[in-house]
Amino acid sequence: MDRSSAQSILVVDDNDDNAEIVRSLLESRGFPVFVARDGEEAMALFESARPSLVLLDVLMPGRSGWEVCRLMRQHPEHGRAVRIIMLTALSDWNDKQSALQTGADDYITKPIDLADLELRVRRNLALVTPHA
Amino acid sequence: MTIVPRPYLLTDSSDGALAEAAEILQLELVLVRPATGLPAAIDAHASTRAVVVSTDDPSLLRAIVEHAGARRIPVVLAGENDVAYRRAIEFRVDDWYLAPATPVEISWRIRSALARVAAQANSFTQRLDRAEYEEMLYDPLTGMATLPVMLERTRGLIKDRGEVVIHYLDFVRYSKIEEIYGWEKLDQILETTSAAVREFLDARTKGTTRMMVGFPNDDDFIFLQIPDKGQPGPTDVQITEAGRQLQLFVGNKLEDVYGEDVASLFEIYIGSSHVYYTPKIRFERLIYRGVREAANAARSLEQRERVRRTAALKGVLHTGSVYIDFHPIVLADTGETFGYEALARGVPRNLRSPEVMFEVAAEADLVWELSRLCRARALAGAKDLLRGEQLLFLNVDPHDFADPGFGVLDSIDPRRIVLEITERTAIKDYPKFRERLRSFRERGFRFAVDDAGSGYAGLGSIANLEPDFIKLDISLINSIDTNFIKQNLVETMVGFAKEQGAMVIAEGIERSEELDTVRRIGVPLVQGFLLHQPMRAGAEAGAHAGHE
Repeated sequence: MDRSSAQSILVVDDNDDNAEIVRSLLESRGFPVFVARDGEEAMALFESARPSLVLLDVLMPGRSGWEVCRLMRQHPEHGRAVRIIMLTALSDWNDKQSALQTGADDYITKPIDLADLELRVRRNLALVTPHA
Repeated sequence: MTIVPRPYLLTDSSDGALAEAAEILQLELVLVRPATGLPAAIDAHASTRAVVVSTDDPSLLRAIVEHAGARRIPVVLAGENDVAYRRAIEFRVDDWYLAPATPVEISWRIRSALARVAAQANSFTQRLDRAEYEEMLYDPLTGMATLPVMLERTRGLIKDRGEVVIHYLDFVRYSKIEEIYGWEKLDQILETTSAAVREFLDARTKGTTRMMVGFPNDDDFIFLQIPDKGQPGPTDVQITEAGRQLQLFVGNKLEDVYGEDVASLFEIYIGSSHVYYTPKIRFERLIYRGVREAANAARSLEQRERVRRTAALKGVLHTGSVYIDFHPIVLADTGETFGYEALARGVPRNLRSPEVMFEVAAEADLVWELSRLCRARALAGAKDLLRGEQLLFLNVDPHDFADPGFGVLDSIDPRRIVLEITERTAIKDYPKFRERLRSFRERGFRFAVDDAGSGYAGLGSIANLEPDFIKLDISLINSIDTNFIKQNLVETMVGFAKEQGAMVIAEGIERSEELDTVRRIGVPLVQGFLLHQPMRAGAEAGAHAGHE
């Protein structure tokens, strides 16, 4: 299937309302958005849609966001290029360190501030190296 | 004559072109309104062949795909813009088209969706299973086959040749690299290593069949060598020699790419075993036994090297053969030299890394002796080096404070000295530790917490040591320009240090982007190869020149 040339974003959140709010914001800014509700879906979409950026909720049923983050990073072709932003209530120093260790590039604290979200998405996408 | 009812095509769309498409396909078009009735309709009509939906309600679309998927009924999405295409991927509908479309195109889409579902019943679960299976069989990082794959591939060959040599490549200190530089660096190093190993083996083992095996979640590799027909297998002497050369080859590659500090943290030991095929023993057991034997051989080489290193350390202590690298610490704004960190290195190549040298000393219970030697050398070298207000940063082990000889300085003012204590060891018993530090503080010594932010201690523990300087862990600086979590952590640390009246030092700066970033964040002091090459003060110039 034809892959969109615009930088697409995968939103992973088990809460439909949250996911739709984020989707509508990002789509209104012209980003193609995919939404997955759990880790399994996220991995399948990661493979088929090859997003440039992933917004990943930490607390999900089944595979946690941390685990999904690790799995994505291990992807042989796409794991390095993708930018991963964790959606979490991270505030503690040690939490941020575990975010680092799982391979995340950035994080957004919940509840989500949409202006902050857009800013972080843009500055992370600016660092995506175009891949073949 | 009975009328055979036609199978159903369910839809929420009243598009006339769709009705014509249904005719082309000889399907009975059933309009379900409102669209929310579709999931129930799918369950109710057993004769449903396909569903065409135009709803843009995501939760409804999910429900439809779920219900249809359970019955292996294809779902085609009729969308009005390219959002539909993404929905199609996201919800895994089987096909989609942009409305309005011609009846022929719609029928073609439905037909292809029908074909696809027939072809890949349960495709998703199968694909997931396969992906996980492949993950087990191939190391995702190095792309090498794991043991089960390799056994399958070689079984016939080994039976035929009757003989196989198993090499076990034991990589030591990979975990240390991760501890110091972080996992990104370790991943890169693993990749470089496996490429180097392959390059070496490709060049050396012509005329024999070879296979590489990588173990996920482990640092070791296995390599099988199956002699060509009519060729004798390699002798034990040849195997040992090849192992030595491989170690050198990989070591040089790593040094080229990552520099001496990383390369010296890396060792490779190769153990080998001969396995002769016999039909009496199960093939797998035969191989696994050989692997174990080879692993033991590698471990015993490692033991021997350890003994050799201890002997080398005793030699170093006896002859005083350490030299000191002085790494400049500079003001981020002006580039002015603020002070130097003294790093002691052993003259023998296997003690070049300070980490390794002190580890060997700890095992042999010689830390005090080694520390004294290194300190004396550092102080002697610093005497001519320090100008004006410049400071000397010395690495100390917490045990050093118990050494009665420690802190007796006659050549240099204690106020010019900063004692660096690593977060990795310092924080275990800090009430007592602080007590010890106090007497040193009273005499004018200053303190730095080294490797801060390496994950061993929180900010509270660091505050408890009341440091004058906080040196950030190298893993926080590596690629900080592209990682916003690292930037945030360093920002936090800079603010925290200000409150504590301490100065932050960013070490390990290798790229100008990293320098720009820490400067912008407000880190006052920086250190790293980008800024200055270390200055070397020799022990016995001749002794280590011979090893360069």
